[in-house]
Amino acid sequence: MTYTPFTQWMITTGVPQQVLELLLAVMIVATIVSIARYIIGSKTYGIYAPIILAIAYSYTGLRYGLAITLIVILTTLLSYTILRRVRMHYIARIAVNYCLLAIMLVVFFIVIGQFGFGLDNMANISGLAAISIAALSDFFIKQYVKKSFKSSVLILFSTVFIATLGWFVITRDVITTYFLNNLWIVPILIILNILIGQFTGLRIKDLFRFKSVIQNKDKDNVQK
Amino acid sequence: MFRNRIKDVLGLNRRNQEYVRPYNHPKSKALADNKIATKKLLAKEGINTSEVYKLIKNRKQLAFLDWESLPKSFVIKPNQGTGGNGILVIYGRKRGELAWIRPGGEVLSKKDLSLHIENILEGRFSMGERSDIAIIEERVRTDSFLKQYSYKGVPDIRIICFNLVPIMAMMRIPTKRSNGTANLHSGAICTGIDIATGITTYSMHMNSKSLLSDTYEMIDNTQDLKINKKLSGVQIPDWDKILDIAVRCQRASKLGYTGVDIALDADKGPIVFELNARPGLGIQVANQAGLRWRLEKVKGLEVKSIKHGIRVAKNLFGGEVEDSIEAISGRKVVNINEKITLYYKSYKEGSKNENKDREITTAFVDTGAITSRISRSYVSRMGYFETMRQFDYLKCPKNFLAFKDAQEYIDEYSKNMTEDAYIIRLAKIFEDGQIVVRPVIIVKVRISGEIRDLEMIVTEDSTHSVTLGRNDLRDYLIDTSKTFK
Repeated sequence: MTYTPFTQWMITTGVPQQVLELLLAVMIVATIVSIARYIIGSKTYGIYAPIILAIAYSYTGLRYGLAITLIVILTTLLSYTILRRVRMHYIARIAVNYCLLAIMLVVFFIVIGQFGFGLDNMANISGLAAISIAALSDFFIKQYVKKSFKSSVLILFSTVFIATLGWFVITRDVITTYFLNNLWIVPILIILNILIGQFTGLRIKDLFRFKSVIQNKDKDNVQK
Repeated sequence: MFRNRIKDVLGLNRRNQEYVRPYNHPKSKALADNKIATKKLLAKEGINTSEVYKLIKNRKQLAFLDWESLPKSFVIKPNQGTGGNGILVIYGRKRGELAWIRPGGEVLSKKDLSLHIENILEGRFSMGERSDIAIIEERVRTDSFLKQYSYKGVPDIRIICFNLVPIMAMMRIPTKRSNGTANLHSGAICTGIDIATGITTYSMHMNSKSLLSDTYEMIDNTQDLKINKKLSGVQIPDWDKILDIAVRCQRASKLGYTGVDIALDADKGPIVFELNARPGLGIQVANQAGLRWRLEKVKGLEVKSIKHGIRVAKNLFGGEVEDSIEAISGRKVVNINEKITLYYKSYKEGSKNENKDREITTAFVDTGAITSRISRSYVSRMGYFETMRQFDYLKCPKNFLAFKDAQEYIDEYSKNMTEDAYIIRLAKIFEDGQIVVRPVIIVKVRISGEIRDLEMIVTEDSTHSVTLGRNDLRDYLIDTSKTFK
């Protein structure tokens, strides 16, 4: 693959190409998360979770990534509902949860190894990526404890959805090559995010939330 | 139309960018997030907060806590908790044991309480997971009137204040679904309150069926009480006092934009629960009105005093109640002194003189009178001069000794009716301490946007030129709060 002279220069002066690609991916997914939060109004577990998830998916492949996510969440739910009944300290509880999670993942690998279920290359996926996905468990429980089960599940869905969106964007070769060759986009991303940061209009979600206020036609006019 | 309404609504982005960040200094925000500091500050201002029994700052203090010294009922809270998390309410204590009873009947041992406090100390319920302080404080005993609307917990009143003006208010009522907490997200009911009168308007709760978060459902009644009650039209007790406290809290805290949570205690009256530096936006749905235009109206306004701020709010933002009561009961609201339009005898719709042939005046609403009354000078001006002369020709006695005599006179009159068709009958009334007979004519009047033909007794001139009596008030509700307007 040929790059523009600037990109070529960067790669030859000690910036590993993979790191460069990853850093670009981080910037892109971060921007997607920021758009999702302030324009659309969809919450995620912070900004780190969707970024790490999107990148993990790009290593495992979406199908495997989502399968691992599913296992992680199911195990978390199961272990947390059981551990809730036991009186114990918070961090210790999370630690037990991680142990159970590790066991379940091993079981999962064994089951897939035996039966396949259409996930044949499971053994090849990177361990680091799998662990990154497992970190979702922590985010999930934190939200569950602080808010509610429902809100945590909802945020989980939007986090996974946005991560998937991010995965889709960063795994398109056309996009990554274009970005690598057009690094001037980086300042554009910064400007875009500054603009989003200044945005004071209603989020799309607000429109749904306040639908009844917005559509309430006959009232309130008198007061103005 | 649609576009303008969108502009009325305050969204999260604008709330943060234009109100929370510029008007709430980090120091003030830190104060609002810290319940103990808030209590101290408000105590200086002479504002009631719930009494603190014990503060537990670390495990050592927890270990040495004298459980026996705690009163029967109390509340355990994290000092820097968010969204009502980590609040444990204790109703009573089991006799002779170190065991306490929760509102739901669940019994907690000393160990259970210690664990809960340890969790608070660890910062599990607090912002940013810093270690926290546990507060053991008095349990507010809800005002008996508001108690009937709530399921177990304490309903509280949230008032958003900006620039010393109370902008919008709502009451949050605990339900079975919310497990006795007054938190909208856990399923509590939110009811909008008219700023001017303290009367509740619209109500809503979080839609439990919807999968999406933050979708609301408008409701009219409480949902899961034994006897469900209508939520609109409820007068919040001590309303003016509550507004005053809310604005004083804002001034003391130096938060430019704040939500003040106030509960009504059966003994102590209004008690401030907490101050919020980032009050939620659901209040707009409960009031069916946008926050943004209200805030913009008040922005930059020079508010001279707390009283001034409250007056501004009442004048600018009051009045939802009238519309909403109309929507609920199908009745319009009239004031004690209601502006009405009188149509002259010669009035014809669409004619050239349309504007000349009517006049606007103030009618006094008098539920003590049966038939409405109008003074003679008005009637004469309206074109019934000749009719009045006709009545004079009757040479009716100036007064009667008893209603019986007056009735006899009227009966006599109705036998040989005069040809003037405008006098439909005679009526006997009590006027200036005397029993008199007066003519009744039909007058075209517009009350609250509706044109009606009213039977009116023509009286001698008195303080009130036009009085509306019970007969004509059947379709209205009377608002007594604007007596001197």
